[in-house]
Amino acid sequence: MMTLLGISPQLLFGQLLIGLINGVFYAMMSLGVAIIFGMLRIGNFVHGAQYMLGAFGAWYLLHLPDLFPGLGLPSLGYWWALALVPFAVGLIGAGMERLFIRRVYDLEHAYGLLLTVGLAMVIEGLFNVGYGAAGQQYNIPDSLKGGVNLGFMFMPYYRLWVIVAGIAVCIATWYTIERTKLGAYLRAATENPDLVRAFGINVPRMLMLTYAFGVGLAGLAGVMAAPIYQVSPQMGQSIIITIFAVVVIGGMGSISGAIFTGLMLGMIEGLTKVFWPQASTTVIFVIMAIVLVFRPAGLFGKETVAAHAADMSTARPDSILENGKLWLVILGVGGAILPFLVYPVFGMKMLCLALFACAYNLIFGYVGLLAFGHAAFYGSSAYIAAYTAASWGFPTEIAILSGVAVATVIGALFGWLAIRRQGLYFAMITLALAQVVYFYAIQAPWTHGEDGIQSVPRGYLLGVIDLSDNMNMYYFVLAIFLIGFAAIYRIVRSPFGQVLKSIRENEPRAISLGYSTERFKLLAFTLSAMLAGLAGGTKAIVFQIASLADVYFMTSTDALLMTLIGGVGTLLGPVVGAVIVVTMQKEFATLGSWVIVVQGTAFVLCVLFLRKGVVGTLEDWLAARAERRRIAAGGEPAAIARGAH
Amino acid sequence: MSAQASLAVRDLQGWYGESKALHGMTFDVARGEVVTLLGRNGAGKTTTLRAIMGLLRKKTGEISFNGENVAARLPEYIARRGIAYCPEERGIFASLTVEENLFLPPVVAEGGMALDDIYALFPNIAERRNSQGTKLSGGEQQMLAIARILRTGATLLLLDEPTEGLAPVIVQQIGAVIRKLKERGFTVLLVEQNVRFASRLADRHYVVEHGHVIDTLTAADVAGDLERIQNYLKV
Repeated sequence: MMTLLGISPQLLFGQLLIGLINGVFYAMMSLGVAIIFGMLRIGNFVHGAQYMLGAFGAWYLLHLPDLFPGLGLPSLGYWWALALVPFAVGLIGAGMERLFIRRVYDLEHAYGLLLTVGLAMVIEGLFNVGYGAAGQQYNIPDSLKGGVNLGFMFMPYYRLWVIVAGIAVCIATWYTIERTKLGAYLRAATENPDLVRAFGINVPRMLMLTYAFGVGLAGLAGVMAAPIYQVSPQMGQSIIITIFAVVVIGGMGSISGAIFTGLMLGMIEGLTKVFWPQASTTVIFVIMAIVLVFRPAGLFGKETVAAHAADMSTARPDSILENGKLWLVILGVGGAILPFLVYPVFGMKMLCLALFACAYNLIFGYVGLLAFGHAAFYGSSAYIAAYTAASWGFPTEIAILSGVAVATVIGALFGWLAIRRQGLYFAMITLALAQVVYFYAIQAPWTHGEDGIQSVPRGYLLGVIDLSDNMNMYYFVLAIFLIGFAAIYRIVRSPFGQVLKSIRENEPRAISLGYSTERFKLLAFTLSAMLAGLAGGTKAIVFQIASLADVYFMTSTDALLMTLIGGVGTLLGPVVGAVIVVTMQKEFATLGSWVIVVQGTAFVLCVLFLRKGVVGTLEDWLAARAERRRIAAGGEPAAIARGAH
Repeated sequence: MSAQASLAVRDLQGWYGESKALHGMTFDVARGEVVTLLGRNGAGKTTTLRAIMGLLRKKTGEISFNGENVAARLPEYIARRGIAYCPEERGIFASLTVEENLFLPPVVAEGGMALDDIYALFPNIAERRNSQGTKLSGGEQQMLAIARILRTGATLLLLDEPTEGLAPVIVQQIGAVIRKLKERGFTVLLVEQNVRFASRLADRHYVVEHGHVIDTLTAADVAGDLERIQNYLKV
């Protein structure tokens, strides 16, 4: 038997086939994401959940008699599913557009991503409640069982069908958009929706149909995937991050680019499984990083639209709630009393997460960059601190500082790659890069996979104070939090912080004033990563464990949620947000897997109704009250109200 | 006058966010007329067109077209009543070819111009029908922007500064086109700053300042006294 580099052709072609199958799904999914992103400017994070809905839809149809025993319904097989489910999923998509997504078109793009993250959490959380982590089996339809021997390999008919049908759907979509009248409407509406409306075309309805179509594609992919992969609530969660990476690599503005990139990356992933199996989970993200270095707009990207930083800050600089020195004292005093009111470990959790959220707010709130991968810094620092303390016997302070150092280096590297793009792309890139750290943590021997690094010694502070005592530990954590809080306040108020604000408000103007804004953004990102690392390292010592949860993307989501609930860009917002989220998680802990649904709902509600967050709303209210009193006292009304954000 | 008016605007007020741009525009355009809105930059001319088209959301007052008040309607509805809009920035779609641009606006009524007639009117467009929309010169883009709203069967054309930034010879061509459109029975509401150009085309002129009409002149007024109108416009 002929071998290539010691690899049998069966293995090589077998993996290439699997890669091609994956590639077909990547292509179908990234096509939908790219269309939705292109037309609606929505980073459709819920796409993975919609794909999962497609797979479950097929499974439901098959089990109709079991699900509704009284109704005498027939069991509908694969072909019925293929015909019905994409429409049903598309219909659900249309409903979601109508109810939720439509409301954020006119807002910063970041809100669209946040909203769909929330929706994904709700949907996937609900299925998780219903079906747990176990996958459901879905059999290959009888008509496509078996296969054909191609001489060098065995080709199952079903896989051949998936490849042919998937590519056909992609090409049909491409043709519709690039070559038909309907496609011309879509392309025109992408450029200038108002003018297209002024020609008599109902653009809002078209956008809804576009969204439904993109979602329907995800549903179709889900049905096709059902017999190949297990039908499980988690199936969409991992693929969506890969899809975002594919979209970044392919670049915007090219439908054929999205298809080609998806197929190619699937095959590359398959090849990597043959030659370097450990790297196969991360190869796409590494390719993304390389593409970003050499072609920031993506392989086929034509997009040159100058994306801008998202100014989502809700702070009023003159508000009493923004007075850092005052609040440092209040938080110090309050923090000192806290362990007498609540369990110290609970207090420490709050403080760690509050510091994490404050660090995140530095880049999201103050610079306006929607980072979505802060778990990488938090988690890597946690792992390093835990490992150096547990295995190398580092003193506690040094262990934490080692974690911070590593987080800083990773932050600088990720930042260097990510600041090439802005807006939604920045979110997608940081998310994908963080996934590299996650997969590394799964595979590396020293992180102990699912178990994590356990029984980390808390040690002695400065070799004297016993930190295994909860009170001692608590005050140490409080000190770290206050230092971090003060540092952020100092950074924001410094001339450096002023430049950051100017970048957030109008980057071209900042550039025209002679600032090298990229360097400022990179430095801010690195500082944010460093402080997130400080929070993560401290957390590992407090809870004596570093685990996969710390590097998982849900941890990044937590940072986002805390900041959003509290108030983006406000001094106290992240702290308030952390208190709320941690309390919520504690209160709902008894609900088990419902927690994620609750958190997703909180996300959605915040984006729709509480965009200013608790602190931002409070600052508005205080300002309005002060204004009323001033007018009541005979003052002139302020000439210009603060711009409506 | 108002009885047979194709378009009647009454006390139109409009806002961009907090700032008020229109302070009670009132004017008429009768069927088959060419009427201009003249005025300086920022007087509210473009805003008036956008308001008529439904693109300006925050507004009060009445905009009746063929007797129907469309002030509260959405742009897609208004377009389907037979009003077509050619924006100042021309709005040629970069991702569409010339022909796709031309065929983009859907036909809203019978009686639109046939493709051959349009190509006869704009020979340059015919030659370049397969080019990318934005590869055209400024003058050609302007012609295309006008050409594509002639197919649809719309009877009232809103043209926003069609001569802006174009060479004199192109301006003449566009003037000739508008004259032909009038002959064909189109009603035209033209926004202009180029008085010379407008004075040779229009039946009547409304001078706009600070968001309302400050004077109305007939073609005869202008022909006799070009200075009067230029006084309004000089800075």
